[in-house]
Amino acid sequence: MMQASLHPTPQARRVLAEQVRAVALALRWPFIVASALLGAATVLLTIGLLGADAPIDFRPELSMLPGMVGLLLPIAVWHGEARFGASLLWTLPVDRRWHALAKVGAGWVWLMALVALFVIWLLALTLLSGGTVLAEEMLRVLPAALAPVGLPPAAGSLDPAALQTVRWAPTPLLWLVPFTGATGAYVLASAVPLGVRQPVRWIAGTLLVLFFIFTAGDLTKAAWVARALPGIEPLYFGRYGFDALLTARTESLKTIATLSTGETVSVWRGVPDLGHWAIATLLWTSAGLIALWAAASRHRERR
Amino acid sequence: MTAHAVATRGLTKRYGRDTALDRVDLQVPDGAVFVLIGANGAGKSTTFRLLMNLERPDEGAAEILGLDTASRGPEARAQVGYVPERLDHSYGWMTCARLLQHVSTYYAAWDFGYADHLSKTFALRLDRRVGTLSKGESRRLQLVLALAHRPPVLLLDEPTDGLDLAMRTRALSLLAEHLADTPATVLMSTHQIHEVDGLADHMGVLRDGRLVAQMSRDEIQRTVRRYRAEVPELWQAPPDLQAGGVRSSTRREMQWTLIGDERAVVERLTQAGALVREVSAMTLEAAALALLTQDVTR
Repeated sequence: MMQASLHPTPQARRVLAEQVRAVALALRWPFIVASALLGAATVLLTIGLLGADAPIDFRPELSMLPGMVGLLLPIAVWHGEARFGASLLWTLPVDRRWHALAKVGAGWVWLMALVALFVIWLLALTLLSGGTVLAEEMLRVLPAALAPVGLPPAAGSLDPAALQTVRWAPTPLLWLVPFTGATGAYVLASAVPLGVRQPVRWIAGTLLVLFFIFTAGDLTKAAWVARALPGIEPLYFGRYGFDALLTARTESLKTIATLSTGETVSVWRGVPDLGHWAIATLLWTSAGLIALWAAASRHRERR
Repeated sequence: MTAHAVATRGLTKRYGRDTALDRVDLQVPDGAVFVLIGANGAGKSTTFRLLMNLERPDEGAAEILGLDTASRGPEARAQVGYVPERLDHSYGWMTCARLLQHVSTYYAAWDFGYADHLSKTFALRLDRRVGTLSKGESRRLQLVLALAHRPPVLLLDEPTDGLDLAMRTRALSLLAEHLADTPATVLMSTHQIHEVDGLADHMGVLRDGRLVAQMSRDEIQRTVRRYRAEVPELWQAPPDLQAGGVRSSTRREMQWTLIGDERAVVERLTQAGALVREVSAMTLEAAALALLTQDVTR
């Protein structure tokens, strides 16, 4: 009898659309600041180009910026939202876990828009400077034995003859890197404000604890520190490390080496591998989605 | 439980060793204005949070309009206008107008004209940012958010807290107008019982997490009475009348607040040797105070 006049719950589509609009408002100021920075960068680059007469080559995968934006964006998305307790967000007539994910999804929509803008900006800058898009390159590659990841080769130890020259043609698939890198970083980072009450304290605390552990280990010459550090490095520099997600390893594979002739050159530890990038993207994004699901589950309906 | 708009069954909530709610069977009839009273920490706000499914009960269940608040939380919340005890500090960067627009998306029954009317009545400046509102203004905004979708159930946890006297009066008269316009069931907690005297038709009393009484106003007026009786010197009250009895210091006189049929209570007192001099009905506030302070015997 009572259920005849029940008020309906809102349609998922309406909620998602409103979240996209609300998040846009929340991101208004970060967006204005980013636009100003991009404008300033355009002016500086234009001045530089006019003076140097060196075109810019369009290499979307080379920039870590989208990934960094992906890491930081959740702060702006959740800014001003009381994420724990009896806040307005959780009293609305929507399944809470879904609601939290809808907000994250709304942030992702804008992240993709921002990344697209950035890529278009890069592309425009490339074309205006007379640069080439996805131009073929000749890479100087270090032999595997001389290329420990994360560390530059010892100065002056490198025989120029040991360097291999490899022709590398970046595929258009690499245009996806800024989008996938930003997405993976964003879902991972979104789990933090959603899952813990004091994200800044947690992040700062974790960094401090790690710093003290390694400092103490270093001071006491503990052998495990020496063993642990190389064990951690692959998380960032490794084949499927975080850098593979953010830049398809175009950052970590590239380094500067001083040859035995005294010349300083840019060398590669290997050729970027799209397969590694795809697996890294899958792994990191999956890990991010799992973390995000767990974090959103903290707010689930109390059944 | 569907005979009641809001109902709980054995609702229990513990925080560590503290029991905030102990097997509460609350029954708010459809269309009632039910005032829940209790001292600070008695469990009123916990009851509201459990009804909103913001916390999980350790035992028991709750229903709103027949919808289980745990398994059908979103549907249950769609029927509710909720004013929480504590102010929510979310969306401080939004203007009040944008927040109203934001929340309206979630309620199909949102009445934009009514939201405007409420905002004007509460003298809310819609162009102001939520974060800059005073406590009273935030409370008024919460009331607009709770009422503007004309929900069939209102859960108001100390809704006039933070409002000045004039605004309290305005809020309560607006609530009365709202109920005349939009039939709804109200479950409200307050410490200012005299303010809701004209609205309330049911009352529940929470004491240390237990619902010690819940009755209609008629029942209160009919059964909760103050009895004044003359008693012999050195008279000992029977055990069932010892609680709640107050002996006058100047005369051999005692006063009780007792719940029960008046004739039966008078008979009990007379049989015990007391001479009943006066029986008086009580105001809602006096009855509430008596029930709250355990100054009452059944």
